[in-house]
Amino acid sequence: MALYNFKKIMVVPTAKDFIDITLSKTQRKTPTVIHKHYQIHRIRHFYMRKVKFTQQNYHDRLTQILTDFPKLDDIHPFYADLMNVLYDKDHYKLALGQINIAKNLIDNVAKDYVRLMKYGDSLYRCKQLKRAALGRMCTILKRQKSSLEYLEQVRQHLSRLPTIDPNTRTLLLCGYPNVGKSSFINKVTRADVDVQPYAFTTKSLFVGHMDYRYLRWQVVDTPGILDHPLEERNTIEMQAITALAHLRAAVLYVMDISEQCGHTLQEQLELFNSIRPLFANKPLIIVANKCDVKKINELSEENQACDWLLAHRVDTKMKGKKVHDVLNRLHLAMPAKRDDKERPPFIPEGALMRKKAMEVDAPKRKLEKDLEMELGDDYVLDLQKYWDLMNEDERHDKIPEVWEGHNIADYIDPDIMKKLEELENEEELKERAGEYDSDDESEDEEMQEIRVLAKQIREKKQLMVAKSKEKDVHGPRMPRTTTKVERKKLEKEMSDLGLDMNDKDESHYAQQARRSRSVAKKRKREASSAPPTSKTRSQSASRPPRDQSGLRDPKMAKKAKKMMKNSQKGMNRQGKKGESDRHVFDLKPKHLLAGKRKSGTTDRR
Amino acid sequence: MRIEKCYFCSGPVYPGHGVMFVRNDCKSFRFCRSKCHKNFKKKRNPRKTRWTKAFRKASGKELTVDNSLEFEKRRNIPVKYNRELWDKTVEAMKRVEEIKHKRQARFIMNRLKKGKQLEKEEAINEVKKNIHLIKAPHAGKAKKMEEKMVQKLQEDVDMGDEDD
Repeated sequence: MALYNFKKIMVVPTAKDFIDITLSKTQRKTPTVIHKHYQIHRIRHFYMRKVKFTQQNYHDRLTQILTDFPKLDDIHPFYADLMNVLYDKDHYKLALGQINIAKNLIDNVAKDYVRLMKYGDSLYRCKQLKRAALGRMCTILKRQKSSLEYLEQVRQHLSRLPTIDPNTRTLLLCGYPNVGKSSFINKVTRADVDVQPYAFTTKSLFVGHMDYRYLRWQVVDTPGILDHPLEERNTIEMQAITALAHLRAAVLYVMDISEQCGHTLQEQLELFNSIRPLFANKPLIIVANKCDVKKINELSEENQACDWLLAHRVDTKMKGKKVHDVLNRLHLAMPAKRDDKERPPFIPEGALMRKKAMEVDAPKRKLEKDLEMELGDDYVLDLQKYWDLMNEDERHDKIPEVWEGHNIADYIDPDIMKKLEELENEEELKERAGEYDSDDESEDEEMQEIRVLAKQIREKKQLMVAKSKEKDVHGPRMPRTTTKVERKKLEKEMSDLGLDMNDKDESHYAQQARRSRSVAKKRKREASSAPPTSKTRSQSASRPPRDQSGLRDPKMAKKAKKMMKNSQKGMNRQGKKGESDRHVFDLKPKHLLAGKRKSGTTDRR
Repeated sequence: MRIEKCYFCSGPVYPGHGVMFVRNDCKSFRFCRSKCHKNFKKKRNPRKTRWTKAFRKASGKELTVDNSLEFEKRRNIPVKYNRELWDKTVEAMKRVEEIKHKRQARFIMNRLKKGKQLEKEEAINEVKKNIHLIKAPHAGKAKKMEEKMVQKLQEDVDMGDEDD
């Protein structure tokens, strides 16, 4: 038998909401992007997923409703009857049945359409199928609108029913309307039932709890019952009747002896007799209420037979309940004395003193508040006066906190003087060892000279770099030998470097310069007379051939030739015409690019 | 009032300045300015960011182990106020700071000495290699040869004189 919790039934949405929720969920939780050009199985799968998802959602939700709502056969007959009284068993069962049918129909629809989707051959067809499936499911649900509304109302009412445990100790109050049942329950328990002078103030069952003899008792207040046959009773009275019929409780039949409820004692007695069959197997107490208005003594003889006073109800209660079962299992243990030593309970001194202080009104010390009252405007809160220091007069000192970016609190240490002494000793030792002597060794003259020269060298370098940047050469760089070097410039440079450039007329460069000038002049003079010597001849005479220029001796010439040959080796082996020949004969060699890759690397191609 | 330390650059955070960030594991980080804060948010390691004190200490550019640095330490057990102790502490603090600065300066100077040595060597090298840019190698050679010859002649003459 499943356990039902009437308060935890899931909210039953209205049909419209239900449809909206499920459809929007389908929209959000399934993929949304699909194109015509996708493969057909993918399109089918996409739409089938949507149909199945919707079906699943409906199914789950409806199943939950069906399981949450209690089956009338599975719950306690008291509740079954109560629900029948309140909600009509047939209607209830019908509503749940309809929901079940709807669920099955939705499942079938989904199954059918998923089967059909397999034959959809285009996006359009599949989409229409999905649309149809979803549409049908939603229509099925739309038809359940009234059932869902009814179930929602049942749920709300059900959750508000008082939790009456049919199996525990209960007292049931019954009687005519307005006899004082609700007042009684208000007095005896913490319940807060409406008490009004008009009849049928209490329209449903109310529960209160009270403690008696360390046990919890349920007190159930019912709406008043009028005296007519069972078939003519209305819903409210039927609740009371149900409670009477099913709860195993001690019944308190409340009578109003003052007849303030509007019914005579006779009528009340007749009612009592008519519902007497319901009291079978239940301890009964007749409560004479409102006896402040009319004393029991004043009652006529006929009614004295029905008198019991409230004080006696205890015994019947005890007899009627399952308390005996429990009593068998209980045993109160009392420790037996083993010797005559007194063992009183131990209470610590502090607790005793505090208790004494609480009892005796000792004069309290002067509070800050009193001080404030006294001084009025001059009052200044000075918490420093409560400080517990070694010297009392230091209490009002202003304590320094920061010095030059350092927190003084970080340096506070009781041993600081000792540490400082050690530090000072260390410092002295270091000074004596010469750690703090300045390192200004005077450098010897040589070093100073070197520094000066180094500086000059660096400056000269910078100058040279700057000059070459200034040149701003457009076009290809020609070797220096093509430009003419002026004699004056050469002599200036060399004299800057420190060489003696006086009397250099006999030097090689001066002679060469003269010779070349004289050749040119001679040629001009003999221009008309004889054919001039060829330019190349005259030039090549003055310039050494390339493979001899710059080489001092045959050894060097041999080495130069060797270097030349070496550098040409690579090119010759590869069949190149020269160093600028970069022609590739075979851009896609077959042996590298064809065939399968077996075991080998892919580093090269 | 306390002057805190910035988590990133180890600089002082005065009251009313900077930002404090408290992380989910209850560790709090103080920053002296938004530069440090932004660097922290970029997850930079202060031990690798060159301008921070943490880097300088970790890479040995500054004095780390020294007795004078043990004086300033955050203490967890408070000491009751005692005027004498406070006075003494303030005086001691000043002296300790002096010594600390001296030692730190000495440490850095020692570190830079090597540079001076290298500089010297570089100058010597430079002169050796590139002296030809300012002075031709045999600039004064001719003169020297002359002087030598003159000296030799002089000697010969002297010798001749002596013989005679």
